[in-house]
Amino acid sequence: MKTTNMLLLFITLMITQVSLANDRYQETMNKNIQIVYTANTIAELQPAVNTFERIAAAEKTKWEPFYYAAFGYSMMSTQETDNAKKDAYLDQAMNAINQAKGIAPNESEVVALEGFIYMLRVSIDPASRGPQYAMLSMKIFETAIALNPENPRAIAMKAQMQFGTAQFFGSPTTEACATNATALEKFTTYKSDNPLAPVWGRGMADGLAEKCK
Amino acid sequence: MLASLTAAAQTKISGRVVDQAGEGIPGANVFLFDTYDGTSSDADGNFEFTSSETGSQVLAVKFVGYKEFQQVLTLEGKAIAINASLREEISELQSVTITAGSFGASDESRRTIFRAIDIATTAGATADIAGALNTLPGTQKVGESGRLFVRGGDGYETKTFIDGLLILDAYNPSAPNTPSRGRFLPFMFKGTSFSTGGYSSEYGQALSSALVLESKDKAEITRTDLGILSVGGDVAHTQVWDRGSATGKIQYTNIKPYYGLINQEIDWIEPFVSLEGTGVIRQKVGKDGMIKVFGNFKQSTFSLYEHSIQDYNTKYRYDLTNSFRYVNGSYKQSLNANWIVRGGVSYTDEQDDINIEQTGVVEREKGIHAKSVFEGSLSDKVELKTGGEVIVRDYSQELNAGNVPIGFQEVIAAGFAEADVYTSNKFVARTGLRGEYNSLIQKFSVDPRISLAYRPGAVGQVSFAYGAFRQSGKNSYVQINDRLAPEKAQHFILNYQHVEDNRTFRIETYYKRYDNLVKFVDGSPTDLNTSGSGYAKGIELFWRDNQSIPNVDYWISYGYLDTKRDYLNYPHQAVPTFASAHNFSIVYKHFIQKIKSQVGTTYSFTSGRPYNDPNEDKFNHSKTPYYSDLSLNWSYLPKPYIIVYFSCTNLSGRDNIFGYNFSPTPNDDGVYASRAIRQPAPRFVFLGIFITLSKDKSVTQLPSL
Repeated sequence: MKTTNMLLLFITLMITQVSLANDRYQETMNKNIQIVYTANTIAELQPAVNTFERIAAAEKTKWEPFYYAAFGYSMMSTQETDNAKKDAYLDQAMNAINQAKGIAPNESEVVALEGFIYMLRVSIDPASRGPQYAMLSMKIFETAIALNPENPRAIAMKAQMQFGTAQFFGSPTTEACATNATALEKFTTYKSDNPLAPVWGRGMADGLAEKCK
Repeated sequence: MLASLTAAAQTKISGRVVDQAGEGIPGANVFLFDTYDGTSSDADGNFEFTSSETGSQVLAVKFVGYKEFQQVLTLEGKAIAINASLREEISELQSVTITAGSFGASDESRRTIFRAIDIATTAGATADIAGALNTLPGTQKVGESGRLFVRGGDGYETKTFIDGLLILDAYNPSAPNTPSRGRFLPFMFKGTSFSTGGYSSEYGQALSSALVLESKDKAEITRTDLGILSVGGDVAHTQVWDRGSATGKIQYTNIKPYYGLINQEIDWIEPFVSLEGTGVIRQKVGKDGMIKVFGNFKQSTFSLYEHSIQDYNTKYRYDLTNSFRYVNGSYKQSLNANWIVRGGVSYTDEQDDINIEQTGVVEREKGIHAKSVFEGSLSDKVELKTGGEVIVRDYSQELNAGNVPIGFQEVIAAGFAEADVYTSNKFVARTGLRGEYNSLIQKFSVDPRISLAYRPGAVGQVSFAYGAFRQSGKNSYVQINDRLAPEKAQHFILNYQHVEDNRTFRIETYYKRYDNLVKFVDGSPTDLNTSGSGYAKGIELFWRDNQSIPNVDYWISYGYLDTKRDYLNYPHQAVPTFASAHNFSIVYKHFIQKIKSQVGTTYSFTSGRPYNDPNEDKFNHSKTPYYSDLSLNWSYLPKPYIIVYFSCTNLSGRDNIFGYNFSPTPNDDGVYASRAIRQPAPRFVFLGIFITLSKDKSVTQLPSL
């Protein structure tokens, strides 16, 4: 009996250790996810991104730290004014998203963020990059939607692309607005069972809904 | 037991992250490897964190642009103070690049001066690569040729390479004294590097300039493209699969309907008609390898009357049929993290059947170019490129059927090596050597090339280049004398470039020396030696700004050229007929969202060129009037999958004169009659509608080939 007790105690301790570690992972992730969602200076974003990179280096099987590092770098790119530096941040974002893809190649969120990075690439130099990257990011959003038809971010970004194109060509925006309506619906209904799943993008869809009115 | 597990000792680790100059680096990632423990450095580079880890741990410090710092620490509860000095990483993005003589254009690299798409949208060029590059400094406008004439060099001194492989003839055939267009459209390339001198030892057999084109990678979507042009039509289809893509295109050109509308200077019998087929295959292999195959055939014909200068009613019939076949296969693959191997083979087979009245000439040129290159880094400060190539040129000319063809076969075997040595992100030195063995003259030669670049700050940089270049004589001369030594040139270039945001300023000065130029002994074109020589020097300015005015992109180029040479039939050193002292271009592009259009204009000015008037005593002493041209183009995108393209050259209809032809014999009054070499028509108007059909209709497209 004594051995069994010892074993039980040991197992309990192990579980406690694991869940302690898990709690710490969740806690650190959540804290920094809030920062990348709300921060609007590079100085605030850099430490959060650094944290994600540290976690990513320690937790070798999780895509989320790489995902948020990529998201953070994307946000840094939007805060920067110099085009070459914008590109440098997007290079870092691309780097991180490729690592996330290596871990979870079929994760719709990861694929959608890759498309988002290409969208940001286009915005730096629309005339020369538009034809190449716009096509690519559209294709990537389609892939992300195919992987998870419920992913509101993938649908919302597709709507953005459709809207931009329709607006440019002065054609009706009905298709884009319909896609955006689906995205808004999914933002309400879609609940991932992953507590660290991304939740951003609602504001973007709301903004587009205003324009669609 | 519980206590021992949870109440581990806390170790405080603090210090400062600095660069080599001792300045603090803010935002650096400081952490213990494989743990969560760490922090980011503050605005002064200081950091402090605690860890409950014990024993031997690795402290890592990372920041973009610097090499990762690592140090083993022993954690035992006592505070640790450590400073991390980060070494700058030599990175392509931040480091200095050699810009002397070169205009790199790539969709992928940043801070680039000239982008691939710029070629397609430059007014006056009508999507011709050489036409667009003619708006850059270093080129001279030679309106009756259409080729690239660089820094006092003749048109044949510029060579074109696709994916590193030579094209023997990069231009379509054209009627005498009318401009020819490049064989390849700009849409198939993702990068263009146009060098007006001092280029890498990888490129040989080009005396003045190397135009290096890099074809696009795998296509992303399956699509069909239709083009309806005022001068013909084309259809292309692209099929995409998981790791590859294939594109095929058929193009038919017939200028007759257009010439029916607009009067031409040329007395056409049958204007230019051509049928062209192009095929492209892309396949990814292994982890990151890529195989590219490109094939092109084109059959062109035309016939016209040439009129005697003395008596217009005496005319000669001129017929030409040109068939061109080109295949290019190339591969690129990494060997490991540091080294890549690339290479390929190209094969050109071109035949001209020319009939002038009863005289028939068949000219055939075949060429093979095989090349293999290894590139990689020996360390983060030394990059090495080395490779070998074989260039075979086989030429024959048959005068009237049945006669024995006269020709030659030349084999050039070459090896090259080049090292880029960085002392920091601020300074790089490139030294290269190119060794060549020429089978005809049975001689081995070595040409050195050296470039240096220094970038003191973030925006400005100075570079210098020196190089020795050689090129075998033109077919028509080697055919007569296959012992002719190659023509030689030496380039000295000094360049300053300032790039800030989207504005670029460049100033470049150069001196070029020519030796061994082909010369007619006592004026006889059948007795040749290489006693010719010459020089070219000049100064060039370039300014580009696509920032100051919203939706506007413009550039201004100016080049001053002073050149003389003694070659061919020249009695002494003289300014060659293709050289103009002043070349000026301004290119303006305006994107107007309201009308979904990009409108562009180009103005070019070239000072008069010399020509030889046999009625004058002095050689090449007469001068043409200046050349001036204002062109317009308009790209309109009514729907995502339709592009309407309109262009018109020489809006003002100015009668530009490129030179004069003289009658070979004087008339009864002892005067050599002359006729001006003019533009085929004052203006060239082009209209094209390009339609892309694909499942995904919401994306803007450029033609795939």
